[in-house]
Amino acid sequence: MPTCLLLCGPLAGCVTHTEPSELFQLTAESQQHRAMQTRLFETRDDVELLSASAAVLQDLGFQVEESVREVGFLRATKERSAREYGQDIGRFFVFLLSLGKLYMPVDLHQKIETSLIARPINPEATRHEVRIVFYRVIWKGDGQADRQYIPPGQQKMEMLRDPGLYQQFFAKLSKAVFLEAFTL
Amino acid sequence: MNPRAGWVMSLIAGTLLAQGCAAPAPRQDLLMPTEAQMKLRSFQTRTFDVKNRQLAMRAVITALQDLGFIIERANEPLGLVTAARFAEPNYYDVLGVTVTVRPEGEGRMMIRANAIYNNKPIEDPKPYQNFFATLERSLFITKE
Repeated sequence: MPTCLLLCGPLAGCVTHTEPSELFQLTAESQQHRAMQTRLFETRDDVELLSASAAVLQDLGFQVEESVREVGFLRATKERSAREYGQDIGRFFVFLLSLGKLYMPVDLHQKIETSLIARPINPEATRHEVRIVFYRVIWKGDGQADRQYIPPGQQKMEMLRDPGLYQQFFAKLSKAVFLEAFTL
Repeated sequence: MNPRAGWVMSLIAGTLLAQGCAAPAPRQDLLMPTEAQMKLRSFQTRTFDVKNRQLAMRAVITALQDLGFIIERANEPLGLVTAARFAEPNYYDVLGVTVTVRPEGEGRMMIRANAIYNNKPIEDPKPYQNFFATLERSLFITKE
């Protein structure tokens, strides 16, 4: 039990609440995120761009859940296993160090979601911008702390901010529409 | 009094007592807007000089994306956009927003935003002011 408290203590101390008014303000990172999530394409064909985006998402294993052509909107999801060897190894060592008292829950399942907007950026609509954002929800398996059973299903959510992921998507989209993707 | 009659009496007395506890009938002004609601609506709403509704909707979407929101739903005929974001760095708090774009007279659009923080409506004017400031910027760039 002391081991558990020792592990949980620092986590509880880190919980900070952000004021809603701050969340409606642009920050220094807003511009960076925008650059990572956005590419420009020299095309007039907005429908082709949107349908190619849907096709690329399908190639990446996503299911398109919602689409609105008029505003160039797509939302897609995919579910995958979230098991990682590193976490299992970590769990084993914590189990050993806690003398068999703490059996940490590990990530079991994840749902990756994405939301995409394609829009013209000049009045003549000869140039379009595609912006995509990825995020995921992870469900943890069960565990045990001393005699206390930790039930499965605890959730964790996070935005995916790995530039490689976005580069990979735009490289595929660029190939699908036979156009070069320009960065901001 | 035999025990059976006693039971009947107490049943009647109980029923009468329960009648007294009935909730009062709803007042006539239950659906009337209160002053607080009117105030809330006034800072949730802004009117912009935009002719095209689709243009206004795209500006709303761009502003929300710039603010780090994830667009969840959009309905062009109704001028509706729903989005949400995590209250980073804390991923357990969620901020949701619904924006409606409706034409108001010639060449003007009325934009209304409703925001909720962990399923509780935000009634503080500041978040809305910040949102409209970003939207104004986005509308200006879109119109260029």
